[in-house]
Amino acid sequence: MDTLVARYSRPTYDETVTEDMEEELLDPVASGLSLKFAMPPVAQPSSWLRSATDDRMNPDCPIKIAHGTTTLAFRFQGGIIVATDSRATSGDWIASQTVKKVIEINDKMLGTMAGGAADCQYWLAWLGMQCRLHELRHKRRISVAAASKILANLVYSYKNMGLSMGTMCAGVTKEEGPALYYIDSDGTRLAGNLFCVGSGQTFAYGVLDAEYKYDLSVEDALALGSRSILAATHRDAYSGGFINLYHVKEQGWEKHGFSDTNPIFWKTKLEKGEFTNVTSELV
Amino acid sequence: MVGKDCVAIACDLRLGLQALTVSNNFPKIFQYGDVLLGLTGLATDVATVSDLFRYKVNMYRLREERNIAPSTFANLVSSSLYERRFGPYFVSPVVAGLDQKTGKPFICGFDSIGCIDFAKDFIVSGTATEQLFGMCESLWEPDMVRLDLDFRTLFPPGIFFYMMILLKNGQLNHDVECSTIMHIICTSDLNFTNASYQSTFATGFDEFFANNLNLLDDLQCPEDLFETISQALLNAVDRDALSGWGAHVYIIEKDKVTKRLLKGRQD
Amino acid sequence: MSALFSQNPLMNGPNYSFSDTPVSHPNEAHGELREHRFNPYTDNGGSTLAIAGADFAIVAGDTRLTSGYSIHTRYSPKVFKIGGTTADQKDATIVLSVVGFAADGTALRERLDAACKMYRYRHGKPMSVNAAAKRLSTMLYQKRFFPYYVYAILAGLDEEGKGAVYSYDPVGSYEREMCRAGGAAASLIMPFLDNQVNFKNQHIPGSGEGHAIQEREKKPLLREQVEILVKDAFDGAVERHIEVGDGLQMMVITSQGVEEHYLPLKKD
Repeated sequence: MDTLVARYSRPTYDETVTEDMEEELLDPVASGLSLKFAMPPVAQPSSWLRSATDDRMNPDCPIKIAHGTTTLAFRFQGGIIVATDSRATSGDWIASQTVKKVIEINDKMLGTMAGGAADCQYWLAWLGMQCRLHELRHKRRISVAAASKILANLVYSYKNMGLSMGTMCAGVTKEEGPALYYIDSDGTRLAGNLFCVGSGQTFAYGVLDAEYKYDLSVEDALALGSRSILAATHRDAYSGGFINLYHVKEQGWEKHGFSDTNPIFWKTKLEKGEFTNVTSELV
Repeated sequence: MVGKDCVAIACDLRLGLQALTVSNNFPKIFQYGDVLLGLTGLATDVATVSDLFRYKVNMYRLREERNIAPSTFANLVSSSLYERRFGPYFVSPVVAGLDQKTGKPFICGFDSIGCIDFAKDFIVSGTATEQLFGMCESLWEPDMVRLDLDFRTLFPPGIFFYMMILLKNGQLNHDVECSTIMHIICTSDLNFTNASYQSTFATGFDEFFANNLNLLDDLQCPEDLFETISQALLNAVDRDALSGWGAHVYIIEKDKVTKRLLKGRQD
Repeated sequence: MSALFSQNPLMNGPNYSFSDTPVSHPNEAHGELREHRFNPYTDNGGSTLAIAGADFAIVAGDTRLTSGYSIHTRYSPKVFKIGGTTADQKDATIVLSVVGFAADGTALRERLDAACKMYRYRHGKPMSVNAAAKRLSTMLYQKRFFPYYVYAILAGLDEEGKGAVYSYDPVGSYEREMCRAGGAAASLIMPFLDNQVNFKNQHIPGSGEGHAIQEREKKPLLREQVEILVKDAFDGAVERHIEVGDGLQMMVITSQGVEEHYLPLKKD
């Protein structure tokens, strides 16, 4: 009988969670970016979570998580260019046009954000903390390879739990020179010269691949990064807003503006004669 | 959208396949004489249905030797859609026009099987309906004399006086609006002091307006309607991933239809 | 690999890294393991809105609490003062609004309030808004795998005395903004706010035609203007959304403290 009861009942509340919360209030360290997560009291948390939050599998899901993106980064002779759009969508709804999708991990390293906004924000902030701890422990700056591996190992440990992130880590160190890594929530970690991530990636690749050369001047590289994002925002419904442009150099990264696509688009069209598909006169 | 002695209808220009924008020049409004039809939904059905109604309206004109009236056209749309009750066209049409005889504005909307929604203010349809409802509900007013927040620079004196008439006739009795008007009067450059305003209000209101009626000629209702419908559409589609990429606006007056292209965001 | 982040169904990419295990358990068919569908959430409707000004911030919310088509109560506040020294929150400087599932909202409010109080106790000073904002983000993310079904907006005055509004998704991604609408009628209110607060699509009259037209310069609104906007936004939303109505609760945060107002809305 007891086994039957045990099988069909569960405690009215999960005591471990409550204890964690009390502990969190009393312990200042635990209230930071900890690895303790509350879990739903079901046998398969991930499939429950999917039915509650994945709007592609279940369009009526109650919790809509923001996503949709175009981000890109490429290595060239002058360092690394990182560019992103700034739109967050949940379903067809544009939740925000002003998201900062480039996350400043520290003053030498950048991360980009695609997929779940919260996942990227939280784990890249956490990565920043790990990088600082590495610096304090070893009295030297962490390499991009090591930093990206910390993140890759972390997301791998949460594999199939429903994290959704596609991120790029870009940085310049003495040992490595300009280094660029792609990490996603499956646990993939790749080094490379050029990556585009997000729903608008194909459109960005189209422009980027056509014009990309390693010997690009800094000015041309910045223009190419911006133009690739512009093309993606134009054709991809889930990308848009502002172009966020960064240049990573040996001395650290440099911001090159958070600029509205609208005036840039019309300037590109009217002054350079591109985007002839768009009508600007009534016929 | 209905204005004073005018109506307006507007659409965006996007044709898309989910996330992919296929075309940015796909107007969804079709003109049949004095009547305009807006169609949203499945693109192939938009094309089919618009051609079907072009045919039907032409046949009507040949048979009756006159243009079809908006309300007649609305019933034609309704019955034509209901013919396909069990295999509907995936469109939700909007009809706008002025009755040529009476000059009264007429607008209505439909579901995909022809249920007519008559409205005296505005009709919305498509992927950004919620956003459009929010915009229209907050910007639209009867007879389209809007109260902008930065009213002193935006309002020519004519409209300003007209607002006072509306206020007097009780057509404008919203609390907030009244206080806004009081505020304009007390702070505008028209040399009204609080006291003179109050005395005007209390005593010689009719006399006062009789002397200033020429100012009412400055009133530009079609322009106001154009501004309202354009702002409603542009701001609504800017919050919807699946619409935008420019817009067309038609303003229908007694014997004139004006078509304008709006420059919208291209992302 | 990268197709996994594709939103485009044409490319057939799943958007998440969930494994492709079937949703139902294989043993279920044989009746060996049976689990009742775990459905801990209800949508309690309602809508909230926050606007930041030059030296103030306003947070507003309707007071209807629904579940499906029924109205549970016509007076249930969604906007709360956070982090005062006492239970009546007389000296609070931060305001939190929560909309979505009311029970999660209450739980979150109490947790954030406790955290702010602990901070005050430990540091001998009230928590700044940007600190509270970050704290709220981590709090939401702690429940990443069992989320709070809550759209939160936090508002206060920043260190320079400027109005600050922070908006959140249910799992803690956040952003500082000038204005934000949340909840059931967010899609109705937000485009209106873009237009009236950030002057989106507004141009200087007579500045030209076609491409020559000049955009209207962005400047923060005055408090009276914002109060009118809030009322207008809710009047519009009430008209077209069944879950919004009854009353409008409005908190105005200034350097003098937090003022609370209540205005009636349509009750139909």
